[in-house]
Amino acid sequence: MARKTPVLKVTNLMKAFGPVVIVSGFNLEVAAGEAVALTGRNGAGKSTVLRCLIGAERPDDGTVQVNGTAVSETNPQIRRDVATVIDDLDFFPDLSVVEHLDLFARAHGIPDADDAVDEILHEVQLVPQSGQLPGTLSSGQRRRLALATAFIRPRKLLILDEPEQRLDTEGVEWLADRLVAERQRGLAIVMASHDPTLVERVATRIVRLGDRAEVLVDE
Amino acid sequence: MSKKSRKLIRATPTAEDVAAEAVIEAVEPTAERTFFFLPDVEPTVVDERELHDEMKLWRHGRATRTFGQVFQDGYFVLFSIAMIGAMLVSVVIRAQAGMAGCNTEACASGRLLLPSAMVLAAWALALAMAALFGPVLASAAEGFWLMDAPISRRRLLRGRLVVPLVAAFGVATVATGLVAALSGLSWVQVIAWSAAAGLGSAALVTLAAAEQPKERTALLKTLQATFASAALLLLVVVIGVAAGWLPVSVVSVAGGATWLLVGVAVVALFGMLVLLRVAISRLEQIRRARLLSGGSLVSGMQGAMFALDFGLIRDILVERRMAAIGHVKPTRGRGLGLAALIWRDAERLKRNPKAFLGLAASLFVPYAADALRMVQLNPLISGLALVAGLVPFLGSLRVLSRTGGLARSFPFKTAQLRTASMAVPAALALIWGLAASPAFIGIASTGADHSVADGLTAALITAVAGLLGAVRWVTAGKVNFQTPMMATASGALPPGLIFNLFRGIDMVALITLPLILGAAGYWSLTVALIVFVALRGSFNADDLRAEQEQAKRELAASKQESADRQKIPRPTR
Repeated sequence: MARKTPVLKVTNLMKAFGPVVIVSGFNLEVAAGEAVALTGRNGAGKSTVLRCLIGAERPDDGTVQVNGTAVSETNPQIRRDVATVIDDLDFFPDLSVVEHLDLFARAHGIPDADDAVDEILHEVQLVPQSGQLPGTLSSGQRRRLALATAFIRPRKLLILDEPEQRLDTEGVEWLADRLVAERQRGLAIVMASHDPTLVERVATRIVRLGDRAEVLVDE
Repeated sequence: MSKKSRKLIRATPTAEDVAAEAVIEAVEPTAERTFFFLPDVEPTVVDERELHDEMKLWRHGRATRTFGQVFQDGYFVLFSIAMIGAMLVSVVIRAQAGMAGCNTEACASGRLLLPSAMVLAAWALALAMAALFGPVLASAAEGFWLMDAPISRRRLLRGRLVVPLVAAFGVATVATGLVAALSGLSWVQVIAWSAAAGLGSAALVTLAAAEQPKERTALLKTLQATFASAALLLLVVVIGVAAGWLPVSVVSVAGGATWLLVGVAVVALFGMLVLLRVAISRLEQIRRARLLSGGSLVSGMQGAMFALDFGLIRDILVERRMAAIGHVKPTRGRGLGLAALIWRDAERLKRNPKAFLGLAASLFVPYAADALRMVQLNPLISGLALVAGLVPFLGSLRVLSRTGGLARSFPFKTAQLRTASMAVPAALALIWGLAASPAFIGIASTGADHSVADGLTAALITAVAGLLGAVRWVTAGKVNFQTPMMATASGALPPGLIFNLFRGIDMVALITLPLILGAAGYWSLTVALIVFVALRGSFNADDLRAEQEQAKRELAASKQESADRQKIPRPTR
């Protein structure tokens, strides 16, 4: 059977902060419709790997390619293809929840942005908070808004860093269902998570990382 | 008995064995727990003064250096401050003597009205600061550990009024005294104006403290707006008189003004004493949340000040204001792609009408500079004023620049994002430039005398300089504390720290310099173009270097791959 062209290809990734090597010799290929879960103890380098995958950190060695294009945070093609939910997502303090989603949808060229915003607001259960400013949202609601911004735009690769964080039980259930649906629609997903239930339900592959993010198990 | 039966009997545990096993398997008796309960006696009433003394003792215990050591380490700074202070006082005395000799209409109006405007501005500022910080505040630790205890908040917190009162009195007195002396008022008048400003500010801070437990802000806001408007109005009158637009008779009340200011100072002093009693009596009712809000703001600002990051200070204030607003009436966007971003910025203008007041106030500056005969420096001074006026309109650029996360979520190049975020402020700067052009052409009898084309060019260059200065101010990165440090008399400092003080100012100075030196306008425009290209992020050296390294690595990887392919031996029969 012919192997699918990988959406994401990571070769020999190395990242160090000063003398401390965080990631060394990390390789990964993720095809469309595949969901890879990175697991490992705190400090194993999962978040650093994810930050290198989206170009937020520059690798010291190795290459990261999305659909054959080298990843750079400033490359608009990469920004178009890769949707991310990691902890450095900021919000405009003076725009409400609905205005954030509206702006994201329109900036990504969604023609019927109003309908899309209504749909996603209902899905993430932020309708009552639609007029609220981000500074007044609870941490869980902020996480839902961050996830909504990733789901309201076109994407080929979804990169999530502990997306279950701060979500309630119902929210984690919804997230698992949503990610399974995303995967079944052919999206490639890479996520770091400590939630075994979420990993079990969503992931088609589990990559367990040891110290310095070396792959212990890829199953 | 068969052999098998005997074997079974031997294997069957005897009663002693069972007892022994039972003893072994028995659960270890739980160690007796002891619980502490307070004795059944009434707790002693806490004396807040003793509590204060104890806290002071702990803090002293944590000190690592004595006063003498601090003085020894900082002698260079103290010596410099003393030297500069002495020079400033000397300059002020000479300037006062010089200005007192000036008898023109502009001097006379400025001498009376500028210090009066300063008094009103000091009062408005005192009210604004008091409302922002509390004025009574407590740290998070105090809020957690002390506010739960059954101690008198009035007795615990009354000492907290001393610092804001002294600060308000000191800052207002010094600033007004300086302006009054530089304007050429006599020394008696300087004391009268300074006392009115200092005592009035302190009284207003006490008023804010009295209102704080009741959580009422309407009176404070009304007073603040009134004083600020009156200060601005006086400045307009100063400019009007200097430019010859207003008759000089408006300043013929100088004689009575001194007694009026003395009266204000006396009333303020009595008002402060009365309000202080009211404020202290109300401190018992103050809410913990109201106290901690000011404390957290101070700690946040302290952190930002260590890095001289004024942008961060502004972010903290904006976040607080927005959190206080909490909810807005959402509006739907328009357009797709970058147009959506620009439209959203235009929509924001309606949400933040206060920002227009700052922009309008900055428009007075070129006219004031022209009226006060500062024609040559007008582009620089007005450009800097415009920076302050435009910063509130660059909110989206600030958010898109401070972290990469949000910018990464938009499908545009950094340069495109920044350009789109500059569009609305650029339109405002253009309008400002057109509105300010009469000041650069020279309509005041004492000011510039340029042709319409030259004046318009100077005004537009100033507007561009102000815009790019504001863009530089909001987009400047944080200080990098991981770079090699610079050895200074104040200890090791990262090199970028000092430059943080000048961000924004540098761009305005750079762009307006050719204009100030009398060079043709196109030189300034060329500099502005280069600055624009750099600020919109077209040439990010780090990005270019990273892309180059990535390309090299990819080339090496593909070469290695092809070499590995060649090494595979072909299957042979």
